[in-house]
Amino acid sequence: MDRILLDALVTGLPMIPVFLGIYTVFRLREDFDLTVEGSFAAGGAVTTVTLIAGLHPALALVAGALAGGVCGVLTAGLHLWLRIPVLLAGLVMSIGLFSVTLHILGTPTRSLLAVPTVFTWFPATPGAGADLRMSIILAVFVTALVTAYAWFLRTEVGLALRATGVNALMARSQGVNDRAITVLSLFLANAMAGFGGGLIVQTQGYADVNMGIGTFVAGIGALLLGELLVRPGRSTVLRIVVCVAAGTLAYRLILVVALRAGLPAGDLRGVTALTLVVAVAAQRHLRDAVGALRARMTPDPKLEGSTR
Amino acid sequence: MLELDEVGLVHNHRRTDEVVALKDLSLTAPAGQFVTVIGSNGAGKSSLVRVVSGAARPTSGRVRLCGRDMTRLPDYRRAGLVARVFDDPRAGTAPELSVEDNMALAMSRGERRTLRFALSAKRRALMRERLAELGLGLEDRLPDRVGLLSAGQRQSLTMVMAGLTRPEVLLLDEHLAALDPGTAQRVLGLTAELVRGVGCTTLMITHNMDHALALGERLLVMSRGRVVADLDQRDKRAASVADLVELIAGAGDTVSDRILLREDTPIETTKGQQ
Repeated sequence: MDRILLDALVTGLPMIPVFLGIYTVFRLREDFDLTVEGSFAAGGAVTTVTLIAGLHPALALVAGALAGGVCGVLTAGLHLWLRIPVLLAGLVMSIGLFSVTLHILGTPTRSLLAVPTVFTWFPATPGAGADLRMSIILAVFVTALVTAYAWFLRTEVGLALRATGVNALMARSQGVNDRAITVLSLFLANAMAGFGGGLIVQTQGYADVNMGIGTFVAGIGALLLGELLVRPGRSTVLRIVVCVAAGTLAYRLILVVALRAGLPAGDLRGVTALTLVVAVAAQRHLRDAVGALRARMTPDPKLEGSTR
Repeated sequence: MLELDEVGLVHNHRRTDEVVALKDLSLTAPAGQFVTVIGSNGAGKSSLVRVVSGAARPTSGRVRLCGRDMTRLPDYRRAGLVARVFDDPRAGTAPELSVEDNMALAMSRGERRTLRFALSAKRRALMRERLAELGLGLEDRLPDRVGLLSAGQRQSLTMVMAGLTRPEVLLLDEHLAALDPGTAQRVLGLTAELVRGVGCTTLMITHNMDHALALGERLLVMSRGRVVADLDQRDKRAASVADLVELIAGAGDTVSDRILLREDTPIETTKGQQ
């Protein structure tokens, strides 16, 4: 049981920033940005080569985040100047970024075993202690980033970001430049994907050009799971963060349990797809059931709006 | 002072489906003047609002505010000077954001948005104070989602938000059109108070002739993208609804039911059911 939880933490914690980025575009902006599949791998690749070049591990993470952010800005550029929908622009970017990532890495996979990473700061102890130590270090990085992001969402600029996704016309009439906000949100979402990619390569000890494939769908599945556990709203920033973290870890837990139960690794994609379907179905039907139950317990017409 | 200098607005310019929304419209409204605007469908009332707010860029002519040429300034960069209340109560607020978040968004209007927290104790105190003036109890509902409010409450909130930062121009685009008569009457009273309190130049578009006559100190009648009649305080006081209908009809526009049917017109069938 400990092993399962630790496995879920070690593989899940680095994905929290990535999925928080997906949440930003998917829920706050109400759009689909497939760039994350490419920026996640590109961020991991940049972190890898800068680490090999001797950059400080924490700075290598920043470099990976910036690389991811640049990918997001390019997607925003395609969207705004060529007027392609974000979905299509992101798809084009994710395909093109595969080649870019391959060029950055030089080879399809690159090992980090001989290079100092964020985990070599602390002396290693063999066995389960190593995983525990790893998850604590990961938790420190992820908590710092997620706290900074939650803080950002509560600022005037963050509020403008949350508003443009619901009512762009209203946001413009209140003086918000929604084009600039689009660029900012795609930059942030992909910078966080790049940061997560950098954490993953340091955790697993290698970078792989294919590591981004499936990230988007996995993220959506995790977010839907999270929304089942916590009900976030646009004005409840703390809940947004908790929802993403809980969803990510729950999703990883399902995968780890499936693996431990003896499922071959090739079946994991199937489990991901199944998780997504179950989460959507649960959102549809469980919500109605919970709503009906609540309405029965408190016969107040005002509640109808909140249960939707 | 708001100045429109031979403003023209043409949609689908030089195409077979070309539509002339505004035709060489010139208008000067001194600072603080309350102008009501009426006209039939397609007269160019909403185009006038869009040109002043910056949502549409004129095809020709200039828009000046306080002597500054604003013709090419996009709507979000005019927001500090021009506040707008939409005809759709859902358009002026973000339903999934809380009341306080909506108001905080309006409080930063016209300033550079920074990385300061959007909500603060000082801001919340000001919000409560402004909302209390409405007498709707909204001051106790700051964390509630705006989507939970009724249409009248939402339109009242939009009005309060419009007055939060002192705008130079207030645009009211048929802002009572979607409200029931009782609510419309209350929001109308609020409108008069807000305009008096803020003291800015106001353009109120309406299809209700009674409202157009009751409020403001100047009345414009629009038809086919032009101002066909410009009534000052004295003419306006002397005018009746029938006079206005004649002015619209005289300009060659059909007078739609929406204008003729007054909001307080009793509807027999509903009365019979009660």
